[in-house]
Amino acid sequence: MVRRRAGEAIVLGDDIEIEVIEISRTRVKLGIRAPRTVTVLRRESAALAQENQSAACLLSAHPETVVDLIRLLGNSGSDFAKTTPAGADM
Amino acid sequence: MVMDRRLCLVSQHFGEVEWDPASELLLPSGLPGFEDERRMVAVEIPAQRPLVFLQSAERAEVCFVALPVRTIRPDYELTLGDEDRIALRIDEDALPELGADVLCLALLMPANGGVETNLAAPVVINLHNLRCVQSMGSGSPPRRYRLGDGRWVPVC
Repeated sequence: MVRRRAGEAIVLGDDIEIEVIEISRTRVKLGIRAPRTVTVLRRESAALAQENQSAACLLSAHPETVVDLIRLLGNSGSDFAKTTPAGADM
Repeated sequence: MVMDRRLCLVSQHFGEVEWDPASELLLPSGLPGFEDERRMVAVEIPAQRPLVFLQSAERAEVCFVALPVRTIRPDYELTLGDEDRIALRIDEDALPELGADVLCLALLMPANGGVETNLAAPVVINLHNLRCVQSMGSGSPPRRYRLGDGRWVPVC
């Protein structure tokens, strides 16, 4: 554990620096300097990336599931067609 | 004279998709896991509503299947964090109305032989400027829903 105040930083290895920019009542704002090759993600983003990879496979790997889905859901319309100026044409 | 310029992509799933550039969705940060997907098109097929397909405007093979969140949970209320509001360009004191100001789409994913979705991470579209962000921590728990017997049921 490392204790830091606003304006102070920690360094990871040779080229990654994490600075505490601001501390409010419930949140801490961090500034991160790292090489472009280093991926910086919130922990919840990393979990979400896995979910999104899985979601992107639904249509290609499980087309029968989508067909079932359409049958189960019926044709009830969505908000998008009513509110988007111009959607895509098939 | 203004030319009617339309864009086209041969989608892996739908074949040829054509759209007006003005209807393109802009994702300033992409989606987690798809950070380079900055432009997407919402494809609706009348016979398959309420499904919305989020097709990448650049990669033919990238397409998400989504549903408006209130088709899954009718009492869903959106909570937007500061960073989401900045990305969507929604004022901090504004109360965007679902369906009128913003559209919230839950991405569907295969799981355990069926379909599940995470309502805590919808794709939020500002309908006034078509900017999008995948919001994290939106809505109230439970977050994950599964489609079973034609109904969405919370699983955790």
